[in-house]
Amino acid sequence: MNSVLGYLFTMVGLTSSVVGALAGFYALRSGQLRLLRMVRQWSWLVLVAGVGCFVVMEVALFQRDYTVSYVQQVGSDSTPALFNFAALWSALEGSLILWVFLLGGYLGAVLYKFRDRGNDPLLGWALVTMLGVSGFFYALLAGPANPFVQVTVPLGFVGPGPNPLLQNHLLVAFHPPMLYLGYVGFTVPFAFAIAALATGRLGEGWLVETRRWTVIAWGFLTMGIVLGAWWSYEVLGWGGYWAWDPVENASLLPWLTGTAYLHSVMVQERRGMLRVWNLSLVCATFCLTILGTFLTRSGVVESVHAFSDGAIGPWLLVFFAAVAGLSVGLIGWRGDELRSPGSIDSIRSREAAFFANNVLFGALAFVILLGTVFPLLAEAYDGTRLTIGRPYFDSLGRPIAFVMLFLMAAAPVLPWRKASSELLSQRLFWPAVIGTGSMVLTLLLGGRGLWAVLTFGLGGFAAGAAGRQVVLATRRQGWRGLVGRTNGGMIVHLGVVLVAVAIASSETYKTDRTATLLPGESMSVGDHQFTYLELGADENDRRSRVYALVEIDGEDIYAPSIVRFRQQGMSLATPSVRTGLTEDVYLVLDGVPDENDGPIRLRVILRPMVSWLWAGGILMGVGTLLAVFPGKRRRGTDAVSAPVEAEELAGV
Amino acid sequence: MTRRSMAWVIIVLLAIASLGVAAFDDGVPRTEAERTQALAQRFACPECDGQSVADSNASVAANIRELIRSEVAAGATDDEIRDRLLRAYGTDVLLNPPATGVSLLIWVLPAVVVVGAVGALVSIALRRRTHTLSTDDDRRLVDAALRTREWTER
Repeated sequence: MNSVLGYLFTMVGLTSSVVGALAGFYALRSGQLRLLRMVRQWSWLVLVAGVGCFVVMEVALFQRDYTVSYVQQVGSDSTPALFNFAALWSALEGSLILWVFLLGGYLGAVLYKFRDRGNDPLLGWALVTMLGVSGFFYALLAGPANPFVQVTVPLGFVGPGPNPLLQNHLLVAFHPPMLYLGYVGFTVPFAFAIAALATGRLGEGWLVETRRWTVIAWGFLTMGIVLGAWWSYEVLGWGGYWAWDPVENASLLPWLTGTAYLHSVMVQERRGMLRVWNLSLVCATFCLTILGTFLTRSGVVESVHAFSDGAIGPWLLVFFAAVAGLSVGLIGWRGDELRSPGSIDSIRSREAAFFANNVLFGALAFVILLGTVFPLLAEAYDGTRLTIGRPYFDSLGRPIAFVMLFLMAAAPVLPWRKASSELLSQRLFWPAVIGTGSMVLTLLLGGRGLWAVLTFGLGGFAAGAAGRQVVLATRRQGWRGLVGRTNGGMIVHLGVVLVAVAIASSETYKTDRTATLLPGESMSVGDHQFTYLELGADENDRRSRVYALVEIDGEDIYAPSIVRFRQQGMSLATPSVRTGLTEDVYLVLDGVPDENDGPIRLRVILRPMVSWLWAGGILMGVGTLLAVFPGKRRRGTDAVSAPVEAEELAGV
Repeated sequence: MTRRSMAWVIIVLLAIASLGVAAFDDGVPRTEAERTQALAQRFACPECDGQSVADSNASVAANIRELIRSEVAAGATDDEIRDRLLRAYGTDVLLNPPATGVSLLIWVLPAVVVVGAVGALVSIALRRRTHTLSTDDDRRLVDAALRTREWTER
């Protein structure tokens, strides 16, 4: 029953995407704009289908309906409700359901937001693009990655349940949906960029229409990445949060180009420059989300995230090539009309800072893309097997990150067009005091290391500049000084500074010790004393657990454990973390004895200020919300770059 | 010299001095344990998807950590330890690709791209500067438009 219903919704989604896209294409090419009403109706149907697929699969998971192939793959009688709900996105096919569900949601949101602009060709082309994208994903669901296949249930089947890593922590319920909300959300600005190219309305209109959408997608992607890092830290038991794993990199790539776009778009709005560049960035961001999906879902890379299912890899690669080809082709075709009128007057201007920002974000994205796909290319070329890991990304990424931090301090105080030395000296004074002050303070507190101290200095500098902006704005406008794109953006900057400081201190001042301890024995690491008290065990029908009770400084008792999941026969070392404002104590059980009074291997990792990373991520999310907070209503038009009557201007 | 510029001089000097102090005392491992840890971070665990030996909990990583520890205790240099690991585990143990052969590209390409991008930007900026807005009328129009926008946005 669920199989049939689910497949029905899939086919409804596929049909309405394809028919809607074709109808729209025809209507727009032939100029019969009345027909666009039909496109809207088909689009609503796509939303219905997306919700249908999602609900049917959740119902099947909760009913333990093992006649549905996907439920047989990831469901189980013993999975708790939360992880059973999250099981929908715990493997390839289900994550595609999440994708079409969210895309349907964005489609509905676009339809609702622009409900009074039904006959606008710009909206028409945007809908056609979105329907094309959703048609592709429904085609995957209908064909090579169908989760609704009807299968027979073996006698006594109780189901394997999701991968143990995905039923071990609350964050699996949040990290993937957030990330996908970001990934899928970038479809909206991409669709409007394609629409702008198709209609030839290449002014600032499409930008203004979609900037809030872009900020929202970016915010979700940011939260998705940070939550993923948090999950990695709390679950994987290696004491880190970012491994430069190919799939982590794949999520960072669209974030980098998206961030570059959020900044360069302001140059186009204010000065009319960078049109080709902005269109390219939007298209590149979308392409990179598809490439990321390809890397994650095709099994070409070895990664903790890869589902190693080769069936849809070639499809995604073809789609990636098609999207990239379409974007490049359209931009090339409109190339002549995209010449921008403005120019840079001075290197000491905000637009110059944004140019530099974009070069840096572009360079960082390039380095990470290269480091991620190069091992694949090298192996395909002459069979060389390479590992590209942290040292590579660190050595190239670090200098770029430092210049970015510096720009983060300088750019917000720079005016458009040109700044005088007098102005800079006045506006940068307090930020510089804060930056230097934080370096001196670090040294006084005993912190050393060039990279860390430099990060704290530049971080303080940038925080000072962002804080100055917020203080001035709130003094002038009250609480409204906290909302809006610029002010929200400064809050995001403060979050970025927290993240940078957290990374620098937790990497530089990390202590990592492993020791073998008998019950009652102690070890000291840093300023802390760790005493192993005794071994304990418990179990339920899903998993069994062996834990060691470890006393920290004679006060708190923590219990790092090894959890064995019955159905998968897989054991996980689950860390126990004492989170603190200035320092995290991270305990991992490396090995347990056969007898209760034997020795354990205990790994202790001290990492200062890791919690600042999560705080910074949350602050970035809050800043994003403030940035999209609805302010004064302003309707975007194409007028900015269209010819304007002189009297009209002079008359204001 | 105004008071502010004097303050700036002090700030800059203090910043340089702080960085100097920080760099002088920078991350050179002091104890054997620190040196082992630093070395372990530079090598890949051959079986764990690019995780370093220091991060991984896998048994092969534990073996390599132990090997590094004993070599450090025996007073081997970094290069000797590297060669020893290469002989035992092959190139899989390298986290950083060597700068030879095909993998040289991975170091050269970013440099080429960055230099190219900066060059392109500079050349665009210079070329545009030579023929910017033509007449004073244009200039006035643009200024008026900018004023209008700033006024409406406020």
